[in-house]
Amino acid sequence: MTSRLTIQERAVAINPTRACAPIGAMLANYGIHGAITINHGSQGCATYPRHQMARHFREPVEVATTSLTEKTTVYGGKQNLLAALKNIWERFHPTMIMVCSTCLSETIGDDIPAIIDEFLDKHPEVTIPILSVKTPSYIGNHTTGFDNFLKELALNLPDRRKKKGETNGKINIIPGWVNPGDIRELKHMLREMGLHGLWITDYSETLDGGYYQPRPHFPRGGTTVEELRSSSKSLATIALQRHVGGEAARIYERRYNVPAYVLTMPIGLRNTDAFVNTLVEITDHSIPEALEVERARLLDALVDTHMYTTGLRVALYGDPDLLEGLVGLIAEMGMTPAYILTAADNRPWGERMVELTEELGVESEIILKGDLHELHKRIKQKPVDLLIGHSKGKFIAEAEKIPLVRVGFPVEDRFGYHRRSIVGYNGAIALVDEITNTIFERRATTIVSNTLVETGVEGPTDIPITLRNGAACHP
Amino acid sequence: MQFKCNQTLPERAIHIAIKGPGGTCQRGDGTACFIANNVATTPGDMTERGCTYAGCRGVVGGPVKDAIQLTHGPIGCAFFSWGYRPHLADSDFHMKYTFVTDMNETNIVFGGEKKLLQSIIEANAEFPDAKAVFVYNTCSTALIGDDGRDVAKQAEAIIGKPVVFFECEGFRGVSQSLGHHIGNETIFRQLVGSVEPEGDFSRSINIIGDYNIKNDIRTFEYLFEALGLRIIARFTGNVSVDDLKIMHKAALNIVHCQRSATYIADMMKEKYGTPYINVTLWGIKNMSKALRDTAAFFGLEARAEEVIAREVARIQPYIDAYRQRLQGKRVFIYQGGPRVWHWIELLRELGMETETAATTFGHTDDYEKIFRQIAEGTLVVDNPNVPEIEEILTRRRPDLFISGNKERYLAYKLGVPFVNGHTYDTGPYAGFVGMVNFARDIDKALHAPVWNILHRHARPAPAAHHASHGFEEVES
Repeated sequence: MTSRLTIQERAVAINPTRACAPIGAMLANYGIHGAITINHGSQGCATYPRHQMARHFREPVEVATTSLTEKTTVYGGKQNLLAALKNIWERFHPTMIMVCSTCLSETIGDDIPAIIDEFLDKHPEVTIPILSVKTPSYIGNHTTGFDNFLKELALNLPDRRKKKGETNGKINIIPGWVNPGDIRELKHMLREMGLHGLWITDYSETLDGGYYQPRPHFPRGGTTVEELRSSSKSLATIALQRHVGGEAARIYERRYNVPAYVLTMPIGLRNTDAFVNTLVEITDHSIPEALEVERARLLDALVDTHMYTTGLRVALYGDPDLLEGLVGLIAEMGMTPAYILTAADNRPWGERMVELTEELGVESEIILKGDLHELHKRIKQKPVDLLIGHSKGKFIAEAEKIPLVRVGFPVEDRFGYHRRSIVGYNGAIALVDEITNTIFERRATTIVSNTLVETGVEGPTDIPITLRNGAACHP
Repeated sequence: MQFKCNQTLPERAIHIAIKGPGGTCQRGDGTACFIANNVATTPGDMTERGCTYAGCRGVVGGPVKDAIQLTHGPIGCAFFSWGYRPHLADSDFHMKYTFVTDMNETNIVFGGEKKLLQSIIEANAEFPDAKAVFVYNTCSTALIGDDGRDVAKQAEAIIGKPVVFFECEGFRGVSQSLGHHIGNETIFRQLVGSVEPEGDFSRSINIIGDYNIKNDIRTFEYLFEALGLRIIARFTGNVSVDDLKIMHKAALNIVHCQRSATYIADMMKEKYGTPYINVTLWGIKNMSKALRDTAAFFGLEARAEEVIAREVARIQPYIDAYRQRLQGKRVFIYQGGPRVWHWIELLRELGMETETAATTFGHTDDYEKIFRQIAEGTLVVDNPNVPEIEEILTRRRPDLFISGNKERYLAYKLGVPFVNGHTYDTGPYAGFVGMVNFARDIDKALHAPVWNILHRHARPAPAAHHASHGFEEVES
């Protein structure tokens, strides 16, 4: 088995898989109870991400903008940011304010930290933390904004005064760019282990809230600023995505002597085992009965479904960390991740994925700097049975009549995916079920690469199966 | 009315007014001056406004079905404006594909002109059937001084088809509104009149300012055709580049959205002498008037009356039935601009009254049209922000909120029935037949059993949000 790494060379991006940095910082900030985001830029830089998040989470998403205009691009946006800070403070009394930048404010060179200092000097009554996060859209992608937020948080919020050996008894968990349902699943695992997690950050309820009468002033849930302050006294930090939170975990280690564990996103059996084993290693707690039962159930699901999944070719696209985790489960299900496409220009990750896929015994093409148009062209050349990724892949799915299993962000054309979990043993079981059921929805003749087809097909399965386009496929 | 949430924002008072006796304007600052509009947003007030790029790419340029929609800028502007607004057409290239020069840090430092030129060439090579390339400029590429106009000219010579460059940087203007204007002006300058077709255009019209949201145009196009008129271009819903090139041949322009598209009607009037009429294509009275006014221009009055009689007879039983169910309901409409005044009469035809009217980017003429139509005591708000909307919903308790997707979930969290007026819950809502859809959606929103369940069974939020984390109860 040999995998290969390719880098898409086209200048124009056609149907990108990724969004830009500010939305990542906004999302992460939603995980802090009572925190408000000010986006320093054009109004669209706040309104577009708000709209996108509302389409995914189906919740009110409120983000302030400094409403920069033509004049401010000449004279700088300082007055607008000062006014926005004052208005947000006086009107909402938030527990924290996060200011994220944009192409516009970065290009005109506004010094946001200095403006925040000036605001705090003028307003001694404001004692809440105000965090500045750099999120120009022309660097990285949406996950970059999330990661930069976590780094700034790790550098600025935790309490630096810590007595020797002082601990809060908790474990910092940085889930990365996941869904509210994923965070709830991770919480469940820690609870079963008898451990206290400190979630950096936790939007499991703020972005998947209930209906209460009356509506609370701030959405329920989220990690509090006080908890985050004490995160320097935790037993360890576990980052569950290398590129979203990995660096923040290392900051905790360097600055506050909190040991860092940077893991692969816990999707599938082995990745989840690694997470559980890390918790065992950190705390000496044993694996509880409940998690053993869930783990056994996942093994059971894998064996029950393997005749329908083994040998299928799958195309995966999305963020590096999600793909790295997913590939584990896909291989465990006996499927071949034929194309693994990400928009990131991250060669070390690509090389690691080549090694990982070879280790898992599957043959993949890993495509960096890729877009969905490129993926579509590959699929036209050599088809796949299944697409796995966010909603924007639906155009390929429709054109090629290939089913799409929706994971990642955004899922805007279906309901409730933000509530689902794909992490942990339970998340893996749910995903195994969904993938298998999606395959069941297909007619046997459209399975292009399987040597084993689902019920309803008579006769031996090693004969060539006719493809949609009339060609024959020799498995 | 004084908003509690505006105690520390006195500058918002001039954007809020109530219609007083005799049609007077009782403004929030205590004066009788007219409501302030189309000015810069107060920073940090949690506005719902978008940017100039959004108005140009999302509203005016985006619906053109056979143009390559290329954003010159970083990835986010293109990703977020891709595929969510249902400006449908009889093909879906414009919905399915988005193109972006994907500016990175190096491009920002060294300039993006080369990448733009290469992107246009590559995009055209990938999709040779496209009829034009629409290039939208963004904040960052404008600030670094890329000469996109010049690149567009070079590219045009290379690919042999129009490359239309929109200078719609997000920071220009105070809202999406300027983006509409730029979209109009650019399309007019670069495309309209570039082809001179042969034939008789004496009975032809353009529909100006309708974006075919969920196929709105299908609800009235056949009515104009039934008068014996030919539609050349729909600016810009279900329209091709070729249609735009010859739209100057029309005998009459029919202007629907009078905020985002009167610009091109004015320009055509000035340059080609094309007259235009303003119409509302929603609701029985207004749709009928639109057909009558159009028919009068062409001397087709008798035919118009036939069409109107036939169509109204078709829907009247449904409207009567819905009116009985909707009678007396009070509505808060918050839309981008003109839809507010387009719908006041439609809602009355369904037995409902507008109790608050707000727009994101309305200008003075929009607010004048609102004031003319609303009843005494109606609240009008310009560019309302999130806390203001929340206060209107909780203090004035309208029976129904008609707004857009961003505001939907706020309404739901406050237990207020909601209909999506931007992109429609079902739709289409225009024309005679669309009004039945609109009425049905309003009826569904108002009478769904969920509201009874919420009002009877909802409980207050558990006090300490920490407890929800669960780990407090665990023994370690």
